[in-house]
Amino acid sequence: MRLTDLLVMPVASLGQQKLRTMLTTLGVIFGAFVLAASLSIKEGVQETIDRESRKNDYSRKVTVFPKWDVVGSKPVSEVIVDGTMSPGRRERIRKALEEQERSKDAKRTRLDLSKERLEKLAGLPHVQQVIPIIHDGGLVLLGTRPEGVSLDSGSPEDDAFLKRIIAGRGFLAPDERGVLVSELLAYRLGIVNDFDLQQLIGRPLRLELQGRSSSPGFSVSISRRASGGDREEHIALEQVAAQLPAALDRFDLTEEEVEALRKAIRPGPVVESGVISEDFPVVGVYRRKNEEEFKGNRGSSQADISVVLPYLTAADLYFREPGRREQGIDQAVLLVDEELNVKDVARQVEGLGLDARAAIEFIERERLIYDLIFGGMTCVAGVALLVSALGIANTMLMSVLERQREIGIMKAVGADNRHLQFIFIIEGGLIGLVGAAVGLLLAYCASFPADTWVRSMIMRDIKMELKGSIFVFPPWIGATVFAFTVLVTTLAAYYPSRHAARVDPVTALRHE
Amino acid sequence: MTGSTSTDEACVAIRAVDLIKTYGTKVAPVEALRGVSLEIEAGERIALLGKSGSGKSTLLNLLGGLDHASSGGLHVGGHDLDQLSRRDLARFRSATVGMIFQSFNLIYSRTSIENVELPMVFAGRPPRERRESARAALESVGLADRLNHRPNQMSGGENQRVAVARALVNRPKVVLADEPTGNLDSQTARDVMGLILDHVRRHNATLVLVTHDEELAATCTDRVVRLKDGRLVS
Ligand SMILES: Nc1ncnc2c1ncn2[C@@H]1O[C@H](COP(=O)(O)OP(=O)(O)OP(=O)(O)O)[C@@H](O)[C@H]1O
Ligand SMILES: [Mg+2]
Repeated sequence: MRLTDLLVMPVASLGQQKLRTMLTTLGVIFGAFVLAASLSIKEGVQETIDRESRKNDYSRKVTVFPKWDVVGSKPVSEVIVDGTMSPGRRERIRKALEEQERSKDAKRTRLDLSKERLEKLAGLPHVQQVIPIIHDGGLVLLGTRPEGVSLDSGSPEDDAFLKRIIAGRGFLAPDERGVLVSELLAYRLGIVNDFDLQQLIGRPLRLELQGRSSSPGFSVSISRRASGGDREEHIALEQVAAQLPAALDRFDLTEEEVEALRKAIRPGPVVESGVISEDFPVVGVYRRKNEEEFKGNRGSSQADISVVLPYLTAADLYFREPGRREQGIDQAVLLVDEELNVKDVARQVEGLGLDARAAIEFIERERLIYDLIFGGMTCVAGVALLVSALGIANTMLMSVLERQREIGIMKAVGADNRHLQFIFIIEGGLIGLVGAAVGLLLAYCASFPADTWVRSMIMRDIKMELKGSIFVFPPWIGATVFAFTVLVTTLAAYYPSRHAARVDPVTALRHE
Repeated sequence: MTGSTSTDEACVAIRAVDLIKTYGTKVAPVEALRGVSLEIEAGERIALLGKSGSGKSTLLNLLGGLDHASSGGLHVGGHDLDQLSRRDLARFRSATVGMIFQSFNLIYSRTSIENVELPMVFAGRPPRERRESARAALESVGLADRLNHRPNQMSGGENQRVAVARALVNRPKVVLADEPTGNLDSQTARDVMGLILDHVRRHNATLVLVTHDEELAATCTDRVVRLKDGRLVS
């Protein structure tokens, strides 16, 4: 038998039962559609997550913090709990008392992010870059007007920040000696008109970091303020702090209370402290974050009166002040060469005694969850296909029974068993082929409105604009859907085809 | 009618030796053939007569390779049917024998030309060639204007002529006809028999004709063989 005939005959017999063929094929189409859609969305979501997490190298970053440690807690003498009580309660009280005792002479020490330690971090394998994050307060002077500001470090590559620049430009390099000022600060400094904003660019701005003397072991500050207040206030507060130990007698306190306070605010090691100041040319002016930009970091308030220095410049200034150099910085970000090495780097950082947080761990957990969900969906799709395969097996078996006589005639005129078997198997395969093609096509077409819908939902709920589609159709998805669908329908046709091959021509032809 | 050993092997078209065919289960067996031995020469025309249920169709199905005997030997057109693989048996059915049935046995969903083409499809002949052959065969049975009609659009006589064309299109050496005229009026029956005999004569084919019609048997065949309860009588 010729190959073309082996293909034409199944098509012809499918064509004779148009409605039945259509209904069985519809089942297969549905299965293939669900399979294609779930594979596609799984792939698309995966890609979207990867894309989003690679944005700003998010997934390649490790954030490092100084670590607080409780040390020096020497063993406490046995605590005795008096009274009659249940052993459980006695134990609980004993533990609490013991902890209290221990914390009395415990010293909380901090492993700082000092300049040296930052250099050590930079030397770790796979670390490409160390970006110090500086958040500090200081004073600025433009001409003679002093103004308290918050000082932050910024990166020349921070796109979100670059978008907020309304005059001038962003930084050219992380070690550029230049400063960006907020529009409100500019306003405070008397730069009111838009035209003057342009005039501000290039003018030198003096930046001052007040010495942070660690000496009194306490500080006096006005807590409602976000930023430093003005210079007079600052100086006055320092005066209060400086005079406080000597003035303890003047308060209405008992002898013991005065003694306890004196002990508590005994000056620590004397640190050389002084005012650091430098003139930086203003390179640009930035606006405050709008609602949407601010959405991401809930809880923190915007520092509106602020300046931003390139991170290396900021670090340089910071470490020049002896008190700050002693304390180190509060946060640094390591950029790792490859995602694969991020966990490794985080472990090494922890090995140094510092705190490390990597987004990759969170991303990976997220990935696992999506994998589980979409894996489940794919299984459901597989089951849908299997169900439609049962439908095929059923209808084909019926058609074999109906066509017994025809099969008998074919056998009488020279059809071999394998011809008949082949014809029916091809019928199943054809249904699978058509079902897979239509199902894929439908999934593809449906992906556009579905993508728009999901996008609008994400936009509404978390105000995030996604790039690219959450449905993707790489060739392997098409291949998988075709292969699996055709395989399943062909297998479904196998049993009916055996039936067809076994038809006894004599019996089939005996009755009209 | 035991075979005469003097007959030249090459001239024997059909040789059956002690054919037994038992239908059904062990509990209720039906012995349709109880030892039939028969030898038919090439080009010989045989009429097979007998009462209903005597086993005529059973014997014909065995000769046509549609069924297997329960025991006994059977050679048809130079093939030992016991020795043929299933695939060769299929080829034997399409190439060596041509079968005609009382009830035509055409495929209703196909046109006459497609029905006639069918044996050639399974024999693997190329489409254009088999279309030509089918057209010629239908023309020779006088159905040149019914090529694309379906069985239910034609009369019984026309249908039987399509069936004859189908049986003869591969030029079989052995033609097996099971009451081919049983459903037709006498004039049509004569036409159809004429077509079959014409073919047999022209290709020196062997004919086994099952019939109830004594007169038809006498006029159209060389020899009459009678079956009674699964045995040959004469
Ligand atoms: N598949 C079968 N199973 C059981 N018995 C069968 C089967 N086919 C035929 N028989 C029996 O075998 C016997 C011979 O049947 P067969 O069809 O050969 O008779 P026939 O001579 O062709 O009769 P008719 O002239 O009516 O066509 C009958 O008794 C019939 O009942
Ligand atoms: Mg019969």
